[in-house]
Amino acid sequence: MWLYALRRIILTIPILFGVTVICFALVQIAPGDPIQNLLSPTASQADAERLRAAYGLDKPLPVQYVIWLGKVLVGDMGMSIANNTPVTGEVLRAFGNTIVIAMIAVVIAFILSTIFGVAAAYRSGGLVDKAITAVAVFGISVPTFWLGVILVILFAVNLSWLPATGMGSGGSKGFDYLSWNDFKFAVMPIIALALPPLGIMTRTTRSSLSEILNQDFVQTLRAKGLTEFEVMVHAVRNIMPAAVAMLGLQLGYLIGGSVLVETVFTWPGTGYLLNKAILTRDIPLLQGTILVLATAFVLINLVVDLAQSLIDPRIKRS
Amino acid sequence: MNSSRMRGVLKLAAIAMFGLGLGGHASAESVLRVAMTAADIPDYTGAPDQGYEGYRFAGYTLYDALALWDLSNSDKAADIVPGLATSWEIDPQNNKRWIFNLRQGVTYHDGCPWNADSAIWNFKRVMDPTAPQFNARHVGQMGTYVVNIASVDKLDDYKIAINTKAPSSLFPYEMAMYYMISDCAVTAAGNDYNVYMKKPSGTGPYKFDTVVPHERLELVKNDKYWNPARIPKHDRLVLLPMPEASTRAAALLSGQVDFVEAPSPDTIPRLKDAGMQIITVPYPHNWDYMLRVDTPPFNDIRVRQAANYAMNRQDMVDMLQGVAVAADQTLIESQPWYGKPVKYEYDPDKAAALLKEANCSPCKIKVGISTSGSGQMQPLPMNELVKEQLEAVGFQVQLEPMDWNALIGVFLSGAAKSDFDAINFSMAPIDPVQGILKKWMTEYQPPACCNWGFYSNPKLDALGKQALGEFDPAKRNALLTEMNEMAVADAAELYIVHDLNPRALSPKLSGFVQAQSWFQDLTPIVVTP
Amino acid sequence: MTDAVANSLATAPVQSAPAARVRSYWGGVWQRLRYDYVTLFCIALIVLIVLSAVFAPWLAPFDPYKSSMANRLRPIGYRQFLLGTDEQGRDMLSRLLYGGRVSLLMGIVPVILATLVGGMFGVVAGYYGRKVNMGIMRTMDIFFAFPSVLLAVAISGSLGGGITNQMLTLTVVLIPPICRVAETATSQVRNMDFVDAARATGASTTSILFTHVLINVMSPVLVYASTLVSISIILASGLSFLGLGVSPPTADWGLMLSTLRQSIYVQPLVSAIPGVAILVTSIAFNLVSDGLRQAMDVKA
Repeated sequence: MWLYALRRIILTIPILFGVTVICFALVQIAPGDPIQNLLSPTASQADAERLRAAYGLDKPLPVQYVIWLGKVLVGDMGMSIANNTPVTGEVLRAFGNTIVIAMIAVVIAFILSTIFGVAAAYRSGGLVDKAITAVAVFGISVPTFWLGVILVILFAVNLSWLPATGMGSGGSKGFDYLSWNDFKFAVMPIIALALPPLGIMTRTTRSSLSEILNQDFVQTLRAKGLTEFEVMVHAVRNIMPAAVAMLGLQLGYLIGGSVLVETVFTWPGTGYLLNKAILTRDIPLLQGTILVLATAFVLINLVVDLAQSLIDPRIKRS
Repeated sequence: MNSSRMRGVLKLAAIAMFGLGLGGHASAESVLRVAMTAADIPDYTGAPDQGYEGYRFAGYTLYDALALWDLSNSDKAADIVPGLATSWEIDPQNNKRWIFNLRQGVTYHDGCPWNADSAIWNFKRVMDPTAPQFNARHVGQMGTYVVNIASVDKLDDYKIAINTKAPSSLFPYEMAMYYMISDCAVTAAGNDYNVYMKKPSGTGPYKFDTVVPHERLELVKNDKYWNPARIPKHDRLVLLPMPEASTRAAALLSGQVDFVEAPSPDTIPRLKDAGMQIITVPYPHNWDYMLRVDTPPFNDIRVRQAANYAMNRQDMVDMLQGVAVAADQTLIESQPWYGKPVKYEYDPDKAAALLKEANCSPCKIKVGISTSGSGQMQPLPMNELVKEQLEAVGFQVQLEPMDWNALIGVFLSGAAKSDFDAINFSMAPIDPVQGILKKWMTEYQPPACCNWGFYSNPKLDALGKQALGEFDPAKRNALLTEMNEMAVADAAELYIVHDLNPRALSPKLSGFVQAQSWFQDLTPIVVTP
Repeated sequence: MTDAVANSLATAPVQSAPAARVRSYWGGVWQRLRYDYVTLFCIALIVLIVLSAVFAPWLAPFDPYKSSMANRLRPIGYRQFLLGTDEQGRDMLSRLLYGGRVSLLMGIVPVILATLVGGMFGVVAGYYGRKVNMGIMRTMDIFFAFPSVLLAVAISGSLGGGITNQMLTLTVVLIPPICRVAETATSQVRNMDFVDAARATGASTTSILFTHVLINVMSPVLVYASTLVSISIILASGLSFLGLGVSPPTADWGLMLSTLRQSIYVQPLVSAIPGVAILVTSIAFNLVSDGLRQAMDVKA
């Protein structure tokens, strides 16, 4: 088992390396010029060239890659062109903001999906099952950015229950989870983020539970006199390792895929940063954000794999 | 504990939590929260980016320049008045030498004195690459205002002489855009602007308080400001970047902000219903097509005129729900150089006839537009309408949208470097340099500056040189007016509309005077709780 | 938006028995499908949606590009505008029909392309094993390191907008998961007896690949691919929403959502319509792929 763990960890390294190459390559295929954003409306071409040289954007590509990689490995992801602040600090701060809503969303989705999955599998084919399946299908089919806009109109503009945009009454610095004044900003983003994982996890839980409940050993348990409730508990315990693994994965996807929700709600997380970096063609920021997100995703996958193989050595994902 | 006491305790707890929830930020101070159209917080170290909105909120708030714009009046286009210089005059013996008398008794927010040494230090920060305080980034934004300066001499502690390379009677306008920042603060930061950014210091009516990158910039009032009439009437100014118009509207409606820039025209009826004040005032903000005049089809004046006659500007104004006004030329009526220009009234038949005469039917053109951007208004629907109107008289229009940055790049590199016949690029002709000289004179063709279409008219060039050397304001204005009228008669541009620059204010605010300028003075705003 | 892409991998169907008796297998599938009313209804719905998109030029009452300032943002049922008009006075119903062409294209074409390319890579990797497998699958792993939304946004953001770029982006994003499903299925089939038997009778590699392997791998891959259509449609509309997809004035559901966002104050119902279109189409595809999976896979 430790051999598997070691092998898995070592395999991750070339993957991470490949990730850096892709990160670097991606932003290079981009048209558009970040320098333009910095110049005054009446500046000249000569000014632009001078600024470009100052940012090192005039060197050949492979050289830029190696320089960039070297710096990244010591934690320096360069300076954001748009506002001249270190990328590393920006991205990590944004990452912290995304983790907040991603984790809460995933945990809520997990709890609800377990409840729903149990309810649906309990009376498979019944009305409750159909209703829950409907909710789950809705969750995976709804375009979350559209839902986000509707939520804003409903709860912020029409009812004024929740704020329309931003993170916290004083901005993200000093955001206090325990204060409703700040936390109310997170409510709608969390709802929008939680729906797709809710849908997915509900369906998976339901189908795994159904599968288990149809197996022979369950009949044996029933014959031994266990109540339906105890049987269900048994089944749920059985699927827990896979479900928890799914939880980890969903967290990874939310962290990487939060760009649409964060754009709609102006939540200053990595998704929002990504969007902004693309619009302003801020190459260092774009590279840094993609790199951090992809790395986080790879590491979460790694942890999930290792945890799963720990819990159940039979499970070895390819 | 019995049940009624329990209920009492719960009630108390509920009230306490409710009260805690209501707590949060500043209680007794009055706060003005502004939603900007900028996508990010503008640079606040003395060379704002994000277009003129950056100057508006992170320039003239924290800093002053030698001259300032008079923003106290809604009735006429803003012009410049003394700022950190109390007066200026051209040296009678040398028309390339401007003497500026500096204001005395002014200190920066950090206590550093404003004087001639500070002024000269400030010029060096953009002009002298060998100076320790040199800032390459500032050159990008501020370089264009000092490009005509040969040298600066200190005459005494409060008097400097600026020597220009070529005579320029309009030089003070450039000095209204060049911010003075605290030399002591930068030196104390070891000439590292990243450190300076943590505690920037200027002479402006607001002082820096805190910043949350990408989210908010908070300034507080400077009660030691040298102009007591402009000490802010609120305690705190919070600036929030909100590039999406619908987000700005939602934020205003839900009470998250008090002052919103450029609400989209569609949201205005709703805002009005909710009791918001919608203010519009014309200022030099012209939404137009810059035409490439050195190649067909627009090298033929008949084609240019046809395009102008094809414009049903009232339709555009209606579509924009009145937040724009028809434009007959680059400048607005209240500007002194407006003159009596040729008017291109809506006449589609005349337009079609002109095109046939010019042998351009159908007249194929390719236009570069942006999807959004500072001052671009609502580019997509507006361009659709322009296209519709042009095609009705015989043009065949291909619109090519790109993002704002990319369009700025096209603008700066000039028409020759692209395959566009026109670009939709809004301009801010706030002064005659920007609105007339840099647009139409041959010497300002790219890469020098802004004559994107390579318009070249030797008569106009001659007038321009004369104007720059003419130091009598009345005579100069006459020359500039003549230049302007010439450009309009030549249909050098496709004139469409002027933006009325709508703003939406919460009913809690009073005292705001919307000036006819890109820059606005927020200091007189009173926030009633 | 989350990553249903690789999620669906975790629950991808695996052939439990060789489909040597192909005809009776498909017969069995049809038998099960016949009574699955929900799936049948959704198949009909999809056919309806696709047909309405294909025949849009004949069905649309107005020109989707004709704007009319006088008729901006009219409500549902105003005069001849059955679904109202958008912010430029264009008929919403016509825009929806024409938009369906783009959005469905974005949903289906990348899936088809990715199935062909990814399927091919997967089969090759699964069949040849060892080094070839390592090479192909490790490369895919690197792409797997990116959550699909991130990858889509990053590639789109770099390449720029436009239909071709968007299709390219989505294809690239969808290739790795399909490749993985194909590879898993292929390596399973490869080791089965009938393949060895075929080899023993001297059949060439290509004929083995075609006759035996592909047929058996096809059904899990196709079923899996069908789950990706709804994801692709949502991803495409998300990209358009961010401004990374087609450019105006092209009608496309995601782009329409984005441009109508401001108008939600004036005509909330009309502004929400494109979102409803995406939702309904997406649900239909999801339910159909569910039904197919249930019918084709003996395990529920």
